[in-house]
Amino acid sequence: MMQIPCPFCGPRNESEFSFGGPVKPPRPDPSAVSDEDWTAWLTQVPNPLGPVQEQWWHVRGCGTWLTIWRDTRTHDIVEAPDGGR
Amino acid sequence: MPYDVTFERLETQALHDLKGPREALAAWAGDALPPFPDQPNTKTEAGGATLMFIGPDHWLLRADLTREGTLDAALRPAEAPPEISLVRVSDTLAWFRITGPDAAEVMAVACPMDLHTSRFGPDGAGFTEAFGLKALVTRCADGFDLAVEQSFGPMVADYLTRVIS
Repeated sequence: MMQIPCPFCGPRNESEFSFGGPVKPPRPDPSAVSDEDWTAWLTQVPNPLGPVQEQWWHVRGCGTWLTIWRDTRTHDIVEAPDGGR
Repeated sequence: MPYDVTFERLETQALHDLKGPREALAAWAGDALPPFPDQPNTKTEAGGATLMFIGPDHWLLRADLTREGTLDAALRPAEAPPEISLVRVSDTLAWFRITGPDAAEVMAVACPMDLHTSRFGPDGAGFTEAFGLKALVTRCADGFDLAVEQSFGPMVADYLTRVIS
């Protein structure tokens, strides 16, 4: 079980949060990129072996949305919402 | 071995959900509110009302049900300026009071949050989980008050009965 650092509440149990998915790259202009790149942006989800930037919602707490960097190999939170570790 | 605790389901409490900048809420509500808590997940009490700091720009005002009308009249939700929101939510939560020497033990079964006094002091109040449900937890004399969504009230009463027996 992870302890996720909420910027309002402090460290809280993972079960209080809802996963909001990985942070995607900025939305490209569909008319300025190839069909392949556009389809990739629409359908491919970042899934690296290592740190990934993710959004979480403190749904059973204060309701804050936050962004963390989590290492998919260890579940270590390598960067907290405030930039700390 | 059973826990040395008692629990009771409290009557409905007067609750108002307050959102918006603290300064704007304080200016609108005036003396109707206790002083605003400074620290997240803490509460202040004054004049029979409790103000809990439960989220960014988000507070919950609690009082006895008999004061609901008085607070409504003082807060004037329908006339509030657009930058703040005041909503009466008294009917949304079912309240339980868990007291006794083993109250913390029972809460440790229900709730993953660290409720030791060093982390969750006498003025502690905030949302967390209890029995897997979103729950408001706050301290009271000799124990804890626990509030869950109204529809889960009978289920939590059953869980508490099983835990303490």
